[in-house]
Amino acid sequence: MIKIRDLHKYYEGYHLFKGVNLDVAKGEVVVCIGPSGSGKSTFLRCINGLELFQQGEIVVDGIELYSINRQRPVAKELETMRQVRLKVGMVFQQFNLFPHMTVLENIIEAPIQVNNAARDATIEQARSLLRRINIEQKATSYPDELSGGEQQRVAIARALAMKPAAMLFDEPTSSLDPEMVGEVLAVIKGLVNEGMTTLIATHEMDFAREVADRVVVFESGDIIETGTPEQIFTNPAAERTRVFLSRVLQR
Amino acid sequence: MKNIQRLFPLLLLLAVLLGWSVPVMADTLAEIQQRGYLLWGSDAEGGAPYIFPDPKDPSRFIGFEVDLADELARGLGVTARQAQNAWDSLIPALLRGDSDIAMNGIEITPQRQQEVLFSKPYYLYTEQLVVGQNETAIKGVDDLAGKKVGTLSGTVAQDILTKMTGVEVKIYSSQVAPYEDLAIGRLDAVLLDLPIAAYYGKPNPKLKYAGPPVGAGFYGIAIRQGDEPLQQKIDAILARLAASGRLREIYEKWDMWNEQQVKLFEEAGGEKPGFVDLEASKRAPLHTFIPNLLKGAGVTILISVISMALAVSLGLILTVIRLYGRPPLSSLATAYIELYRGTPLLIQLYILYYGLPNIGISLNPLTAAFLGLGMNYAAYEAELYRAGINAVAKGQMEAALSLGMTRSMAVRRIILPQAFKIALPGVTNDFIALFKDSSLVSVIAMVELTKTYSILAASTLRFFEFGLIVALLYFAMSYPLSLLARRLEKRLKRSNR
Repeated sequence: MIKIRDLHKYYEGYHLFKGVNLDVAKGEVVVCIGPSGSGKSTFLRCINGLELFQQGEIVVDGIELYSINRQRPVAKELETMRQVRLKVGMVFQQFNLFPHMTVLENIIEAPIQVNNAARDATIEQARSLLRRINIEQKATSYPDELSGGEQQRVAIARALAMKPAAMLFDEPTSSLDPEMVGEVLAVIKGLVNEGMTTLIATHEMDFAREVADRVVVFESGDIIETGTPEQIFTNPAAERTRVFLSRVLQR
Repeated sequence: MKNIQRLFPLLLLLAVLLGWSVPVMADTLAEIQQRGYLLWGSDAEGGAPYIFPDPKDPSRFIGFEVDLADELARGLGVTARQAQNAWDSLIPALLRGDSDIAMNGIEITPQRQQEVLFSKPYYLYTEQLVVGQNETAIKGVDDLAGKKVGTLSGTVAQDILTKMTGVEVKIYSSQVAPYEDLAIGRLDAVLLDLPIAAYYGKPNPKLKYAGPPVGAGFYGIAIRQGDEPLQQKIDAILARLAASGRLREIYEKWDMWNEQQVKLFEEAGGEKPGFVDLEASKRAPLHTFIPNLLKGAGVTILISVISMALAVSLGLILTVIRLYGRPPLSSLATAYIELYRGTPLLIQLYILYYGLPNIGISLNPLTAAFLGLGMNYAAYEAELYRAGINAVAKGQMEAALSLGMTRSMAVRRIILPQAFKIALPGVTNDFIALFKDSSLVSVIAMVELTKTYSILAASTLRFFEFGLIVALLYFAMSYPLSLLARRLEKRLKRSNR
């Protein structure tokens, strides 16, 4: 479903990715962990074209993204990036709901504007998504009237409304108050159980252990270890993984 | 790019609406008769006894040249319409086609004869020196060395003064201001045409004539070169008016008739029927001027609203090109913004109105006013929008893109609606500023509120009370806008929706 080959990226003059490879099969759940600044967020952002990369290739559901070196991508490249984004939904750490639209409008905006979907059917679909995340009564509220957890659940629904083939979660619970983390993770868990191909960057180790088919450990722009949650959390092969895990699990 | 394509018809419509008129140099005489009125260029500001607002009904102009213009029009079988312009711009305005003729005490001089045709003279003028009541040193034009002497820009009096050695010449663009300055001691003397001195200088108890009139010359009606048929027709009408005694009647009505014209204004003579002197203008009840002032205010509102509409839309186009366009388009937009913000609005207006005709584009005053103000403020609006767009969280664009939107759709649907709300209080404030800056377009022959003020104040010398009234009118129009701006700011603070 997602194939990454020999990914190189320079970040403000710094050589962040030096040839990263990863394959995500259909229906597979891959969780990226690693210290802050290790590149797991940037990695996710490369997959849906929010970050350019300078060497290598990324294939998402048959659509190929090649490295782009120029400052401003040309129209054809922009369109390829857009096609990729139509395949993968993205959920951000900061929610990024559109503040000038109600919850319902946030969800129906892209299907109607981008896919020219019929309005009534889209609203119906949006309501069922809201029911699923248990927030239907807030349909006409504005984002600033919602709690952080509610906003992130709406952001997930908004991405799902485009019927993506895969979902990317970029530290979805990092800016939430602790009591709201659970409700968001529950929604993601539900999605994973339905067989959605998913890539998650997170600091929630228990959650990673629970949902991941495979755990990928990032450090300094490199994947230092890949394995089942069982292997990684109980018997990591790399010394650096062990150091990282002992630091985060102590807390 | 799609956005810009969508805006293109709008731009086209704007261009058509504002449309520019290229002066038609064809047969002016035939054109006048076809259109049914004669456009005569003159400056109503401080124009007595030539042309000034009737104190009984200030929406009407009176003066000996108004009477003369009516007679000329009648001779042509049409009616007369005044075309307002600053006095020293009357000939340029005539050349660009703003009027058919210019008649406003324009002296026939060799320099002017190179530019325009003149009719036969219709009045013989002399120059009169006026000094303060207590002045003893200046007894005539020979005593002016080392003195500060005021006069009107572009007059023969100015030529006389500048040719004299050691005279400090102060040039004014209105004929009333030099006498005002003389009365309060800013000047030592004023040299101007006798009819002007008789109207503004002589009635002032603080001023007196110094010596006999000097110089002599003729006022003539300026006509564009190539309009010989019109010139001949006007000469014939003038000859008829002189022969029938009608010309003399007009001059007698305005107390300007005298064979020698030297003793003319020395006579104590009582008011003749139809003559309106400065005292009558000074005493006229205030309410008679209200319709004029309101009309001026109306023009001010019209100019402000249309200019602001232009500024708001052009500013948006500039911002979108600057932020999302590719070079060199984006650099051009940046250059436009910097250029318009970095040069005075006044100069931009002069170039638009007086400069463009040199390269064959002649805008009418209203169009020049809209474009001048609108294009200038567009640069400021563009900066406000840019600040607004930059204030929208970066994640908004990423979220929109991640949902499969194109960049232009994201800008249109997600970024701009939020940026507008942030920019709105600033835009409202700019509207207030533009509203006040609209007074600058009086330099390009628009009679809006400020110009109405200077015309009325100059003919009545009631600078103070008219000043207060006009200031009050401006305030009454701008204050509601400030209230609106404040409310918008408050709403913005409450919510980021």
